[in-house]
Amino acid sequence: MNLKTRVLGETYQFRDLKEVFAKANEEKSGDQLAGIAAGDSRERVAAKQVLSDLTLSDIRNHPLLPAENDEVSRVIEEGINEKIFREIQNWSVAELREYILSHEATDSELKRISRGLSSEMIAASAKLMSNLDLITAAAKIRNITHCNIAIGQPGVLAARVQPNHPADHVQGIKAAIYEGLSYGSGDAVIGINPVIDTADSVKDILLMTKEVMNKWDIPTQNCVLAHVTTQMRAIRQGAPADMIFQSLAGSEDGNRAFGIDVALLDEADELIRKEGTSTGPNYWYFETGQGSELSAEAHHGIDQLTMESRCYGLARKYNPFIVNTVVGFIGPEYLYDSRQVIRAGLEDHYMGKMHGLPMGCDVCYTNHMKVDQNDMDNLGILLSAAGVNFVIGVAMADDVMLNYQSTSFHDIAAFREVMGLRPAPAFEKWLEKMGIMENGKLTAIAGDPTIFM
Amino acid sequence: MEEQWIKSVGIDVGTSTTKMIVSRLRLGRMSSTFSLPRFQIVERQLLYASPVYTTPLIGFDEIDAERIGAILKDEYQKAGISLSEIKSGAVIITGETASKKNAQHIVHLLAERSGDFVVATAGADLEGVLAGKGAGAQKRSQAIAGNVVNVDIGGGTANAVFFYRGKAIATVTFHVGGRLIRLDERGAVSYVSPNITSWLTAKGLSVRAGETATYAQLQEIALQMSRSMLDYLSGRERQISGLLVSGQQMQEVIPVEEFSISGGVGALMHADPVRDLTEVSRYGDFGPMLGQMLQQVRERETYPFRWIEPEQTVRATVIGAGMQSTEISGSTVHIKPELLPIKNLPILKLELAREEWENPVRLHQEATSVYELGLRLFGSSTAIPFALALSGIGYCSYALLQRIAQELADAYKRYFSESKTMVVICETDMAKALGQALFLRCKGAPEIICIDQVRVEYGDYIDLGEPISGTIIPVVVKTLAFDERA
Amino acid sequence: MEQQLDVLVDRVVAELQKKLAEMGKQTPVQAEPALVMQESEDLIDTAEAEPERTAHVPHPKWEAGLQELLESTPARIGVWRTGVRPLTRTMLQLRRDHAAAVDAVYGEVDQALLDEFSLFTVETQYDNTENYLKRPDMGRILNEEGVRLLQERCQMRPQVQIVVSDGLSASAIDANLRDVLPSLLDSLQSYGLSCGTPFFVKGGRVASMDHIGELLEPEVLVLLIGERPGLVTAHSMSAYMCYRPRKGIVESERTVISNIHAKGTSPIEAGAHIGTILSKMLEQKASGVKLVL
Repeated sequence: MNLKTRVLGETYQFRDLKEVFAKANEEKSGDQLAGIAAGDSRERVAAKQVLSDLTLSDIRNHPLLPAENDEVSRVIEEGINEKIFREIQNWSVAELREYILSHEATDSELKRISRGLSSEMIAASAKLMSNLDLITAAAKIRNITHCNIAIGQPGVLAARVQPNHPADHVQGIKAAIYEGLSYGSGDAVIGINPVIDTADSVKDILLMTKEVMNKWDIPTQNCVLAHVTTQMRAIRQGAPADMIFQSLAGSEDGNRAFGIDVALLDEADELIRKEGTSTGPNYWYFETGQGSELSAEAHHGIDQLTMESRCYGLARKYNPFIVNTVVGFIGPEYLYDSRQVIRAGLEDHYMGKMHGLPMGCDVCYTNHMKVDQNDMDNLGILLSAAGVNFVIGVAMADDVMLNYQSTSFHDIAAFREVMGLRPAPAFEKWLEKMGIMENGKLTAIAGDPTIFM
Repeated sequence: MEEQWIKSVGIDVGTSTTKMIVSRLRLGRMSSTFSLPRFQIVERQLLYASPVYTTPLIGFDEIDAERIGAILKDEYQKAGISLSEIKSGAVIITGETASKKNAQHIVHLLAERSGDFVVATAGADLEGVLAGKGAGAQKRSQAIAGNVVNVDIGGGTANAVFFYRGKAIATVTFHVGGRLIRLDERGAVSYVSPNITSWLTAKGLSVRAGETATYAQLQEIALQMSRSMLDYLSGRERQISGLLVSGQQMQEVIPVEEFSISGGVGALMHADPVRDLTEVSRYGDFGPMLGQMLQQVRERETYPFRWIEPEQTVRATVIGAGMQSTEISGSTVHIKPELLPIKNLPILKLELAREEWENPVRLHQEATSVYELGLRLFGSSTAIPFALALSGIGYCSYALLQRIAQELADAYKRYFSESKTMVVICETDMAKALGQALFLRCKGAPEIICIDQVRVEYGDYIDLGEPISGTIIPVVVKTLAFDERA
Repeated sequence: MEQQLDVLVDRVVAELQKKLAEMGKQTPVQAEPALVMQESEDLIDTAEAEPERTAHVPHPKWEAGLQELLESTPARIGVWRTGVRPLTRTMLQLRRDHAAAVDAVYGEVDQALLDEFSLFTVETQYDNTENYLKRPDMGRILNEEGVRLLQERCQMRPQVQIVVSDGLSASAIDANLRDVLPSLLDSLQSYGLSCGTPFFVKGGRVASMDHIGELLEPEVLVLLIGERPGLVTAHSMSAYMCYRPRKGIVESERTVISNIHAKGTSPIEAGAHIGTILSKMLEQKASGVKLVL
């Protein structure tokens, strides 16, 4: 395995694969905080150059985080299809990139080789891609999933209605749901981040959302994004949950910091299959985001892009209905400015799609980042072009509970209108029945939440 | 603490029947671990319901307190509950019974014999509300986001409550009930309540004690009585039907979407038809006929609302009293546990606009005048004269808090120097801060009880229970009057 | 009969009180000085001019319902649209609130306020705001000058140590300290607890309390710190509390009350409750998940 290269008259010798992986990344404040980032552009391109020549078997044979030490590594390793891997093991990362971008590699070819790729290999390919590469590659992949309805079809952009309330007041949550529905959002999920992590509170919210769905016959799915154990308690107490949610990290100890492990996810998986209220066969909602492992000091010296890819390797085990990278939530110490956020959003979306996952993106930022709403407009359009399965809809993009900004119900309508995209077919039919949408356009009553009162 | 169960009991001594229930209420934390604690009653479970006893009487109209006590003792034993476990609940002496001469005696006796819990002696308004809650009308009004009326018809009175979107907005009580006319199997009438004579006359109907009534005569009275009550509630006619109203008349006509009838007579609506006087008089009164006629009206006549089945009939009031009477205060409060429980405090309200609270001159005037009013109404004694409810403050800065505390403490010490305890109820979450500010000024003379997040109005009475887990105070607000609002 | 009499009395009382209240409202309020008017005659602050949220849906199916929705949540609903884009005023409102949030991050706490409570200032190693944002580790350690100042001016081993820090929102301190701090001090007084020398930390992170704990060895420490600003409010403050703070303390050993601001957790009530929590920490010799509240 060659870890040495010459760039612009200077020789670079990298210590190990970890260093190559980290330094091949585009600039991120999180890698800098971890002390593993490239010192300058020259070193960055040297690392990319070394990485491009490494073979897929080099990557597999030199695990960044050995399977014997980490259960996420084990899940990823066990998920690899040996036959397919053998076909491509001698490819360099450069060849992998070129294959993925080639015209020969269509949706089904990409889905096939995906089964032979580890999360680290997919991460490696992302490191060699420009933003437009990431968009071009991802746009070829359509991962369609079905919970109560199907989303992810070509030409479809779905949206989560995220109607959070700072004190979990059920009426306030309901009000924001009405607002979102009236703008044609809500086909991905009606999903609430609760403030109060108790089974009672989760159950109240699930009951209310189910009631709204039943009353108006809305073809969608509900979810309350409490800790998985709280949701499990609520479900066992009879709460109607179409999906079960959990945030994931890319390492075992990262997940431990979230209070989960694979055994717990397996248990939750069994429970939602037995006692969930939806049609299936996809019952999970996962969230991820670059930097969470470092913030839990569980990154093992591995860069945040690779750790993020490993989250998808874990997510893939459970055939989720939706996976969402909450790209700008974690703060400036991981993604400092709009450049970094936009890059990370495109990387995550691509890597998730390459894992065969139904990727969505919370195009978002906090107020202490060097980002504003214009940057969100940009990333939203870029991801719409890249074929993102869904984005997040929050009233005027301002989440009054989590105190950050995402994309608005207006933004989703605009992404659809500008990019020629539609809501999920079943949901669009319902919007037409309600008189909110006609021929893919919002009608005169769209935007009036009182039509649901 | 995540959650806690408390036991609550309801006892309903009615004109014709007496029953009790034991329930348990679950207090759950409804705040995040990063917020000030806030608890709510998140679940109410019925644990035990007694059989329906005939209310024991001595002679014609005196409740046999001793026998009621014996029934309760027996029922507590059957329910497997000791008195010390009961943390809350309500006793209701309903219908005509409440105006019987020994009602007060009964209440005191029950207070002793039903555990050291919060005891409510109610007026007809509260009974109607509790019965409506027990019958499920409140929940229903929330579900349909509209107006739902429940009438609980027992032996002596019919208590109607209007719920709009979960909130009781009006009550009215009728002299409509089974035991208003009593008779034997031959139709010999032994009693006609004087409360209905003027209505009978106005309707051109007649029935008197000592006479013998026919089946047709009783049928007509029951039918007319049913119609009058419904005419009144729907606003169709209130001149004559108003003669059946006990106490306050309703000022407005409130459009009703759904309507249910609970109580003993509500249960009789579904009984087998009564075909002759023997069947009519099987309880010694005309209740079965009243039930039958209400059912007939329901089936054959058109009133502008949907009839629905109540969740409870004969036990609606007792279930409401046991399961729905208790609220809890905000969880950051200032109390002295050994001073609780405190029962039957009248509410005095200091309700000012936001700007008035901020205006020191106005604040001083208002605090003075509200205490003067309190002094005139309740006198000055060592007891707690009233609970002062503060309303309209909104956001309270530390500076404002100090001014309010100073005014309230100074004036209280001036007007109620003998009183050992001052009780204050705040609308918004500020009880601990205000309690502490008052405490630092009064230093135990008087002691301070300051709770919050309980809605009270003029004319309410309030009972404060013993604290649960140190800071959660069960509260029973006895609303005796309603503003009518549509 | 007695009860009916009661009701009657109550009604009379209610009437009387209402009348009194109405009479009060008719009394003219003292005129305010004209100075405020002069100052804002030609420039009305838009943020203050539109304090009440109003819905902009032109022909809602249910007008009253719209108001009800608006009252149920601070979320920006009922805002209406032009095509698929927000109305201009809605967009500007959002930009105004974002500007306030960014100002809170990059702003400084009012010195007069610190003087009012006799808080002297020490700094962490944060150096500048960009570095503060990128390097949270540097906001956890006081600089040498800060260490020296604490050793010089602070009472050692106090029962309760109060520390104030700007954190991610200087304006959170400006907006809430006047309500939270005195209410907390009253609470300590009513519990009979004694308090060391309070001070202000510029560029502080939550874990700066560990370093301060090492230096001053208080029994319990409370850090009042500005939270990451949101758009609903840029002035939200948190109180982090810890029993015997020191290096190596984990997050779960801290007790937190967050969202303290005028429209969130009541500042005066939070101040009073912090006193209760601190007294329980002293009683139980524990904080965080081990503390039974």
